[in-house]
Amino acid sequence: MEQATLTDALSFEALLPHLGGMIEDADHKGGELVIRCSTDNIIEVLTILRDEADFAFDQLTDLTAVDYPNRPYRFELVYQLLSITHNRRMRVLVALPEGEVAPSVLPVFNSANWAEREVWDMFGIFFAGHPDLRRLLTDYGFEGHPLRKDFPTTGYVEVRYDDTQRRVVYEPVHLTQEYRDFDFLSPWEGVQNDIEDNAADQEEQGA
Amino acid sequence: MSEMQIRPMTLNFGPQHPAAHGVLRLVLEMDGEVIERADAHVGLLHRGTEKLIEQKTYLQALPYFDRLDYVSPMNQEHAWALSIEKALNIEVPKRAQYIRVLYCEIGRILNHVLNLTTFAIDVGAMTPLLWGFEERETLMEFYERACGARLHAAYFRPGGVHQDLPDGLCDDILKWADKFPEFINDLETLLTDNRIFKQRTVNIGVTTREEALDYGLTGPCLRATGVPWDLRKSQPYDAYAEMDFDVPIGKTGDCYARYLVRIEEMRQSLRIIRQAIENMPEGPVLATNNKVTPPRRSDMKNSMEALIHHFKLYTEGFHVPEGESYTAVEAPKGEFGVYLVADGTNKPYRARLRAPGYYFMAAVDYLCRGHMLADSVAIIGSLDIVFGEIDR
Amino acid sequence: MTLGKLDLNTPIPQGNDQDMILNAVTDEIANRGFVIAKADKLFNWARTGSLWPMTFGLACCAVEMIHAASSRYDMDRYGMLFRPSPRQSDVMIVAGTLTNKMAPALRRVYDQMPEPRWVLSMGSCANGGGYYHYSYAVVRGCDRIVPVDVYVPGCPPTAEALIYGLLQLQKKIKRTSTIARG
Repeated sequence: MEQATLTDALSFEALLPHLGGMIEDADHKGGELVIRCSTDNIIEVLTILRDEADFAFDQLTDLTAVDYPNRPYRFELVYQLLSITHNRRMRVLVALPEGEVAPSVLPVFNSANWAEREVWDMFGIFFAGHPDLRRLLTDYGFEGHPLRKDFPTTGYVEVRYDDTQRRVVYEPVHLTQEYRDFDFLSPWEGVQNDIEDNAADQEEQGA
Repeated sequence: MSEMQIRPMTLNFGPQHPAAHGVLRLVLEMDGEVIERADAHVGLLHRGTEKLIEQKTYLQALPYFDRLDYVSPMNQEHAWALSIEKALNIEVPKRAQYIRVLYCEIGRILNHVLNLTTFAIDVGAMTPLLWGFEERETLMEFYERACGARLHAAYFRPGGVHQDLPDGLCDDILKWADKFPEFINDLETLLTDNRIFKQRTVNIGVTTREEALDYGLTGPCLRATGVPWDLRKSQPYDAYAEMDFDVPIGKTGDCYARYLVRIEEMRQSLRIIRQAIENMPEGPVLATNNKVTPPRRSDMKNSMEALIHHFKLYTEGFHVPEGESYTAVEAPKGEFGVYLVADGTNKPYRARLRAPGYYFMAAVDYLCRGHMLADSVAIIGSLDIVFGEIDR
Repeated sequence: MTLGKLDLNTPIPQGNDQDMILNAVTDEIANRGFVIAKADKLFNWARTGSLWPMTFGLACCAVEMIHAASSRYDMDRYGMLFRPSPRQSDVMIVAGTLTNKMAPALRRVYDQMPEPRWVLSMGSCANGGGYYHYSYAVVRGCDRIVPVDVYVPGCPPTAEALIYGLLQLQKKIKRTSTIARG
């Protein structure tokens, strides 16, 4: 669905004079510009996007990550930017392999503080330069990074109050009924055609 | 006498504290009565919603959104429904859009009534709660009549809403809308010029425009600093473009300004509710694309095809084409966004829920510094914090 | 009619019979200055008449809990006043999802409550994990942490359902025949 009054998305060409060498890839998705850059220059890219009057992205709305275990660069950091001045949104993607350290963007946007803590908690991506990178949402003493695709939904431990020890103890998970993960992924031709039709329609309209 | 370095006293606030609005644990480093640092421990309600959503089909994941910000459930569902509609590129019938707008605004009033009245309790006023919750009961009855549930509605579906409004409901909402300004006025007589209330809130927790943006504040907390930014106006979704309403802003950016903005927002919501009911067109309430939306019950009795669609939709669910999108709505607390990564299957690959309260909570440290201990309660109350959406 | 023959386990319907008993009690006090009743029954009567729950909302159910306490449903009518401190309360309403991180805190609060104490588990998350049963962070039922007396089903249970649950708890207390509860 088109958002009527949203100003035209930022064009890739407009970015080039400022960020020329730093953008690896750019794309338009749903009225938003999506660019890719590397961990080395993410701070610089965000600073320019924030400070240049043509862009004026004054808020880092969100920072998150996505886990793609099959890719060589396993994680993808997603920075959502919002410009209140120009009424625009934009997304910066940064791919990084497992074990690599990302720079903290806290000096550029303060809203990155808890967002980075959460990404560290959930994905185990370390942010260099973050002053207080502790776990945030998971339990005290939690092990593992739950939003990684190889982490089981039910986790590894569960708690129970032990009457003899008179405290809450951790035990390996024991489920009385396993999680029933039905495989419903049978190919359903109908929807596939439908999606293709829609895509074709869109292209026609766009042309 | 030689100067002595005194270690600041550490004070533990919560997790079981009536003013913590849920399960907040604050570790406060105090210099006497002044807060030097507030370290918030959240996650005491972390239920792993984002992980669970990855295991469910798109429709099965929808009720999780009710349970995020459980004070205004339908506004969250709206973001999820919109993001799926965006990915599938389906058009929502006009009537459904109006119903959604109507219920989003009811949700906004539900939220603001709860927030303002509990905020009043936090700073010492009991009566607003007793009055306000009667209004909330009335609104929850409207929820119940539309979808059968008082709180967790699961009413907004991809492609529209689940069922049409029953007869007479709109008239009753209009009748209530005529009376409700009286409640707002009563609330204002209790609080707006109340000396005690003002002493507890004016100049407490002040943010400037730049700081608010920098810390990721949205919604009433951002508008209280004087930024006229409302996604309903600036990036309208569904039928909001056709509604005539104003965006109230504050000037000072303190707790009192946030209170005033919310009071005025309730009045504006009433305007939208009236317009939504008066201009509501007739027609279907769910898109007729049978690959995404279930067939009507009556069709299933007669049509084999409808029965098959129903079976397919409630077992396999629908597939969403590969791609990622960010969809945001103006929830009562601020910008609620969904970053949806779809991989072409019937389950979301990753769904990131951007909760407004999460960033408020992160800003509590900065807002509380230099304030008295008792002010921290006022600040937390005025930020409108609900732990369902912060911890997810 | 003498008081000694009364079966206190069955409620007496309103009407002449009830009036007669009440009058007999008042006469007894007026004439002799005291009445005789079984201590345990008297204690149970007092306990059911002033069940003080603790304000301890965890999640969504807490909203319904506040609704039950505020103007429309008005739990005060049953002598139930919310107390902010565990030391003053008799019953803990576990209203909402209990997570692993919260479990030790919940147990600690329960341990701080004086005997006799009761626990009411409200909503499917507290009853058995509910919608979040298979999550890595959720306790699959608050009875793994504290002993539960009454379970109220629903997601969330309506305010009426909660009050019904509390009335069931009152019944349960009335049936208890020992003074100390172990």
